Amino acid sequence: MTEAAEPDFDVIVIGAGIAGAITAYQLATQGRSVVLIERGEAPGAKNLSGGVLYCRGMQEVFPDFLTEAPVERRITRNYINFLNADSSIGIDYKDTRLSDPVNAVTVLRAKLDPWLAEKCEEAGVFLMPGVRVDKVLTEDGPTGKRVVGVKAGDDELRAHVVVAADGVNSFISQEVGLRTKEPLNHLAIGVKCVVNLPRETIEARFSVTGDEGAAFAIVGDCTQGIGGGGFMYTNTESISVGVVLRLDDLTAKNKSTTDILDYFLAHPFIAPYLEGGEVVEYGCHLVAEGGLAMLGEISMDGLVVVGDAAGLTLNTGLTVRGMDLAVASGVAAAKGIGAALDSKDTSKVGLAGYREALFASYAGKDMETYAKAPAFLETERMYKEYGELIGNVLYGVFNLDNSPREHLLKVAMKAFKKSPVKIKHLIKDGLAGVRAL
Amino acid sequence: MSVNTWIIVAGDPAIGNLIDTARSLGGSVSVAVVGPRAVADTVAAAGVDKVVWFGEPGAVPAEAYATVVADAVAAATPGLVLAANRASDRVLLGATAARLQAPVLAAVSSITADGAGLVANCSVFGGIAEETVTVTGPLALLLEGGPVPAASTTVPVEELPATPLGITVVETKPSSFEQVDLGAAPRVVGIGRGLKTQEDLALINALADAAKAEVACSRPVAEGLDWLGKDRYIGVSGAHITPDLYFAIGISGQLQHMVGVRGAKTIVAINTDPNAPVFKEADYCLVGDLYALVPALTAALK
Amino acid sequence: MKIVVAYKWASNPQDATVGAQGTVDWSRAKPGFSEYDPVAAELARRLADATGGEVIGLTVGTKRVDATLARKAALSRGFDRAVIVADDSLEGAGSTQLAAVLAAAVRHIGDVDLVITGDSSVDVGSKMVPTVLAGQLGWPAVAEVISITGQAGALRVERAVPTGTQVLEITGPVVLAASTDAAVARVPGMKDILAAGKKPVESLDLAALDIPAAAGTTTVTGTSRPDLLTRKGQMIDASDPAAAAAELVAALRGAGAL
Ligand SMILES: Cc1cc2nc3c(=O)[nH]c(=O)nc-3n(C[C@H](O)[C@H](O)[C@H](O)COP(=O)(O)OP(=O)(O)OC[C@H]3O[C@@H](n4cnc5c(N)ncnc54)[C@H](O)[C@@H]3O)c2cc1C
Ligand SMILES: Cc1cc2nc3c(=O)[nH]c(=O)nc-3n(C[C@H](O)[C@H](O)[C@H](O)COP(=O)(O)OP(=O)(O)OC[C@H]3O[C@@H](n4cnc5c(N)ncnc54)[C@H](O)[C@@H]3O)c2cc1C
Ligand SMILES: Nc1ncnc2c1ncn2[C@@H]1O[C@H](COP(=O)(O)O)[C@@H](O)[C@H]1O
Repeated sequence: MTEAAEPDFDVIVIGAGIAGAITAYQLATQGRSVVLIERGEAPGAKNLSGGVLYCRGMQEVFPDFLTEAPVERRITRNYINFLNADSSIGIDYKDTRLSDPVNAVTVLRAKLDPWLAEKCEEAGVFLMPGVRVDKVLTEDGPTGKRVVGVKAGDDELRAHVVVAADGVNSFISQEVGLRTKEPLNHLAIGVKCVVNLPRETIEARFSVTGDEGAAFAIVGDCTQGIGGGGFMYTNTESISVGVVLRLDDLTAKNKSTTDILDYFLAHPFIAPYLEGGEVVEYGCHLVAEGGLAMLGEISMDGLVVVGDAAGLTLNTGLTVRGMDLAVASGVAAAKGIGAALDSKDTSKVGLAGYREALFASYAGKDMETYAKAPAFLETERMYKEYGELIGNVLYGVFNLDNSPREHLLKVAMKAFKKSPVKIKHLIKDGLAGVRAL
Repeated sequence: MSVNTWIIVAGDPAIGNLIDTARSLGGSVSVAVVGPRAVADTVAAAGVDKVVWFGEPGAVPAEAYATVVADAVAAATPGLVLAANRASDRVLLGATAARLQAPVLAAVSSITADGAGLVANCSVFGGIAEETVTVTGPLALLLEGGPVPAASTTVPVEELPATPLGITVVETKPSSFEQVDLGAAPRVVGIGRGLKTQEDLALINALADAAKAEVACSRPVAEGLDWLGKDRYIGVSGAHITPDLYFAIGISGQLQHMVGVRGAKTIVAINTDPNAPVFKEADYCLVGDLYALVPALTAALK
Repeated sequence: MKIVVAYKWASNPQDATVGAQGTVDWSRAKPGFSEYDPVAAELARRLADATGGEVIGLTVGTKRVDATLARKAALSRGFDRAVIVADDSLEGAGSTQLAAVLAAAVRHIGDVDLVITGDSSVDVGSKMVPTVLAGQLGWPAVAEVISITGQAGALRVERAVPTGTQVLEITGPVVLAASTDAAVARVPGMKDILAAGKKPVESLDLAALDIPAAAGTTTVTGTSRPDLLTRKGQMIDASDPAAAAAELVAALRGAGAL
């Protein structure tokens, strides 16, 4: 491999989100010279997540993650809720085993990202906030186009490897031709707000104590029939609440995200949890939803793609996972880049260790497991009719209107007949769901 | 507890509010005047107890008298020093506060004296919160100047010889903008960076004519774009107005702007961005293009 | 010429939240180089480049003003070096106290010809720090400065006044507060930030500085949230401008606003 000018750094990482920060941190601890470029004035300024982080991967990178990092609460209660306009059915899963060892925590990116950036700086990463990378520099190499650096404004920086960690919209990977513009059905939009509430109020309303927390996954009426779901997660002194909406469906149904969020917040089954709180943060962000189908090429000569930029998100319907996959891809990328730098071959072939490490990790395995989830979740019935159906069944059971009680099966059949859901749907979706999830 | 107050004047005798404030504290009211003799004479006839004057300044700007004023006022050990919130007055007040090692408070809504010291209520951090501050020892306050006080009893003007610091005015250039007093206008049309060119101000002027309103703006329109005079911008560092009706047109409604119109009775906002913060503080909200809405509104008002 | 730029590392209150009791929560407001201070840095750089001078960035505040991020952000603005006084006892310090510390630091730097500041700080914004700083140094201050040319001891400064502008000649050391539109500041690029990482920073110990004692005590004895007028927040459909205008005018007449 011949490389023209002497590079300024071993590695340039674009984007100080979770994927970029972990990649940069791991490389710096290997002793590489790394610059981490972030367009925000401060890391985390604009980044957004629902907020549940499956933290095992993080703990492998930072053994003291749970005690040192700004984590909010440890999730011990998962609540799955089917919401109808006037009824709500929930599955409440509380398990003390979830807190020992801790498996998921809530985080606020406005706190977590600066912490990660600080860890990077301590490890020797040169952090460069307030700079937006405009393009990558390429040269024609022996095996085709090769990435050699980045350009921002009038300045250029060169490196052996460039890491695109620039999030779901990754124009870097689009620019170099690794990805094409995503079809709408691979994208969703998340709107979220953070509502301040006193610690005691949160603990009482969500029946948790100490640093325990609850994660609510909500489907049905919360999205007014648009494909997607709602979530409500407890932080120490605030609630993260929002909806994730399929972009194709939203566009087709011509609804506005703010209206849907407002409707959700005011829903009679949601509003009581938030009552008296003050909205202190509001944001809106794309979510990659394509699953494995979105994960295409993740490296080329001189460049690798990590995190959301690589399409590493999983939406299982009940959880959106992206942060833990961002961690895993960062770890895998650092491993692959390290090996490539050692062997002085940073071509696509030299960087192949990244893909291998990624697929050997939980991230790659889970992406394969859930490969069919996105298509399953596109089933419209998931968001409307099923919830209403179960609602009507339970109404029949619990509505003691002095009419004689009917056998549950009968009630169910009655409700089922009224519902537009057909047996064949039930069987089809059931099977698809079992296979996908 | 009565408090002896000094007022500092850097050339503009519009200090009616300062005199009222000083009088409310019950002690003596003295004034240190920098500027032409006529200013000292106006102040001397405004119902104060004492006036000192530092001589004809000629081409020397008020700022050159900073140390002289600070020395003279500090020597009198005042409990309270006041100045109007104007650029040169702030410089003289700052010098005096430094000489006294006294805290300075701005955006003060009230000041009283009790056994513990001086108690001031002030608006802080651009107006997001209010604080009550208790100060022992001397205090310096920045206040709105208020009108030129009416003449009453006259006190003699004491002249103090002074050697100013080395600054001279070598050239003055008049502004191309005529001066306005937005404070008196019952209706105000405010325009922001949503306006694309200076020529388009004609649209805004036409609306202002139809609504019998004054034209005002956000800070960047006056500073940076230079489309309107600096005395036309509204906000924390500009004019504070309380009209019956305020139109915020093409203005995002940042805190620093809105603080200047919070006292308006009715606020109308026109902005293309439905999430613009201005809509949170408006009575009537029109999400749309000012280039379509302003002419329509002008026509409707006729 | 030795030029000091006093810059503040502060958060925008627009991003802070205020509790019902008036307590300000800054946790969501990220601190940065105070809004108008880049203008001061730009004026200083241009003057130093024209006269062969040195530009020293100076800031005073709590420990956070000395964080790596804050240092680099400052030094990428065209300073040759920085002097920082970071001490958590300065939390909530008033303009007079900040100015006293700044003045002590200016004396420590020594032989300073000129201090340039921003128009107003993004959080406090009372435009008093430059004037008290000048007072502590026994210098004059001039605000609303539009341009600075000339040499140490013979500066030509143009500043805005209500009736237009004035050109001043200044023979001694002075504090100049830049008007917000005196210059369009450059946005630091990657090379500026890289260079910033290598520039010298001197951290001064607050206790070692010669700072005069305050004359009395200042205590915040109460806080509250301002009572804002509740606004109607009435939406008027603006898709048809003429109809919207008619509806608005009718509503304003009805409410007695016109
Ligand atoms: C509403 C919502 C809810 C979610 N809920 C969860 C959840 O509960 N759990 C979970 O695990 N995941 C969740 N996710 C997904 C998760 O947020 C993402 O997968 C994760 O943030 C991906 O991290 P990243 O580092 O790849 O990208 P990002 O966090 O998007 O970071 C990209 C960074 O790159 C920077 N950048 C972009 N372009 C440039 C450029 N040109 N130059 C310089 N910098 C640039 C950006 O400013 C940003 O800092 C949710 C997402 C949304 C939107
Ligand atoms: C210490 C300090 C003091 C300050 N003091 C003041 C002050 O006293 N007064 C003041 O005003 N500011 C002040 N500012 C600045 C303030 O923070 C804002 O930056 C400023 O008010 C923004 O001005 P704007 O709304 O005109 O511009 P922008 O924020 O750029 O907003 C322009 C708006 O126009 C809208 N728009 C665009 N095109 C159209 C169209 N065709 N039709 C309709 N709408 C359109 C946009 O959606 C946008 O909301 C201060 C800042 C600081 C830091
Ligand atoms: N803590 C500080 N450190 C350095 N400079 C400051 C500080 N506070 C204020 N300044 C300077 O003084 C100017 C006016 O600030 P203020 O008086 O707070 O409006 C700012 O633009 C800065 O240039």
